[in-house]
Amino acid sequence: MTVDNLTVYRETYAAVQEVSFSLDAGTDTAIVGPNGAGKSTLVQALLGILPRKTGDVFILGQPLSRQGKLPSQVREQIAYLPQNFLFDRRIPITVEELVGLGWDAPGIRLPWVGARARFHHVRQALARVDAAHLRSQPISNLSGGEMKRVLLSYCLVRPRSLLILDEAPAGLDIQSESEFYQLLYQLKQEQGWAILQVSHDLEMVRRHCDRVLCLNRTLRCQGVPEVALSPENLVAAYGNDRTPYHHSHY
Amino acid sequence: MVMSLTVELARVVDLFQLPFMHRALIGGVLTGMMGGLLGSFAILRQLSFFSDTLGHSVLLGISLGIVFGLNPTVVLLPFAVVFALVVSYLLEKTKLWTDALLNIVYSSSLALAIILLSFVGQYKGGLNNLLFGDILAIRPGDLVFSAVLLVVCVLFVGLTLNTQMLVTLHEELAMARGISVSTQRMLFIVLLALVVGISIKAIGVLLISAFVVIPASAAQFIAGKFSHYIIISSLIGAVSAVGGMLLSALFDLPSGPSIVLTQLTLFFMAASLPYLRRLAF
Repeated sequence: MTVDNLTVYRETYAAVQEVSFSLDAGTDTAIVGPNGAGKSTLVQALLGILPRKTGDVFILGQPLSRQGKLPSQVREQIAYLPQNFLFDRRIPITVEELVGLGWDAPGIRLPWVGARARFHHVRQALARVDAAHLRSQPISNLSGGEMKRVLLSYCLVRPRSLLILDEAPAGLDIQSESEFYQLLYQLKQEQGWAILQVSHDLEMVRRHCDRVLCLNRTLRCQGVPEVALSPENLVAAYGNDRTPYHHSHY
Repeated sequence: MVMSLTVELARVVDLFQLPFMHRALIGGVLTGMMGGLLGSFAILRQLSFFSDTLGHSVLLGISLGIVFGLNPTVVLLPFAVVFALVVSYLLEKTKLWTDALLNIVYSSSLALAIILLSFVGQYKGGLNNLLFGDILAIRPGDLVFSAVLLVVCVLFVGLTLNTQMLVTLHEELAMARGISVSTQRMLFIVLLALVVGISIKAIGVLLISAFVVIPASAAQFIAGKFSHYIIISSLIGAVSAVGGMLLSALFDLPSGPSIVLTQLTLFFMAASLPYLRRLAF
């Protein structure tokens, strides 16, 4: 992925301004910064969910159009987990159906076409995250940790090149968060995913990520964690009076 | 007692031999299925009150048609579609609460429609039919239109089921998969407007939203899977229409309200199922 001079407006102000960076295959890049720094805005603009004001985005060599369109074969190489996957828990949908949504590319088709392949891949993906027993459960019955595992199987049900996570473990307790990252990095090794993730957990970023982007509307620093997360760079990104919190469970 | 019941049943059987009863029954089933099918998405996307508002706005379309000397049936459908799109645009763009905006639209279009109708003498008596519908007055042409629309609804939902499920579950997730949520939302609203518009004649302005909301709400208690939920909702819509027509014929009750009462009965039965299951185990 290559991002060149990207500016995104939220109503009248520039939430992300002149951001440029690139992401190599198979690497793990974290976006860090204080609340309101534009991290989620940046991720949503990269996916074409939010329109951009200026700049260019190339994903797997293909340009993201001004209307946020990508060729479908590129789109299907990307999996995205939004910040706080909130949904109406009364929606009657099972785990199997949710993961199946990750398998089928959106478009016009008869619902029963490819049902056998979908069934097979959904089962495999659920087994891989140790959630095969949840297959027939309505998603409203899942705990936070189970939900995250199911969402990871939604990502891995079809081969992907890029995983974009917006504070994916938000809402989990420390133990579940630790288990989530353990599983995520196991899968990254197996699947060869490149990961771009928004995170507040600098300790996790130091431990796992190859590169860090420090964002506070503009890109304040970028590089390997040892350099990007130096005290001077953190002050540049977060400001003097806003100390980022650290977790010590890794 | 047995004798009078036999006589009564024979009367109902005779009644259902009449062509207008055939049409009413088929029309009810078609409307029930369409309402149940689109209603299953409408309630999850919180469009229940929207469908009610749409029903009331259609009355305004009919009134305008009558006042300007146009065929109300011809005016009805384009008016319903344009009105639905305008209201959905307003819902996106204004800072008013959804239910407040819908209430303003709903009550003002009803008021305007009744004032317009008061200028047209021969329609004063017909207001009752517009408000409560007259399923027995369905014509063969209406049935053809309803059948075609049902096929369109089934094709739309069936062929884009994956897309509709993603949009209903999480719009951001859908957009990240390259789905144009605004286009999907607009297509759904146009279909809903057509269904409401075509069903008004049979069901009436006041009861049309029941056809969208009650079968889907009942199905939600029964179905575990999304695909089952859509099918059950459509079936409840169809079964309610048959049951309501029988109820109406047996006790000489108005047909539209009888269908809605049947829907309500099925809703209560569905709502009590989870409790009965818990008692059983």
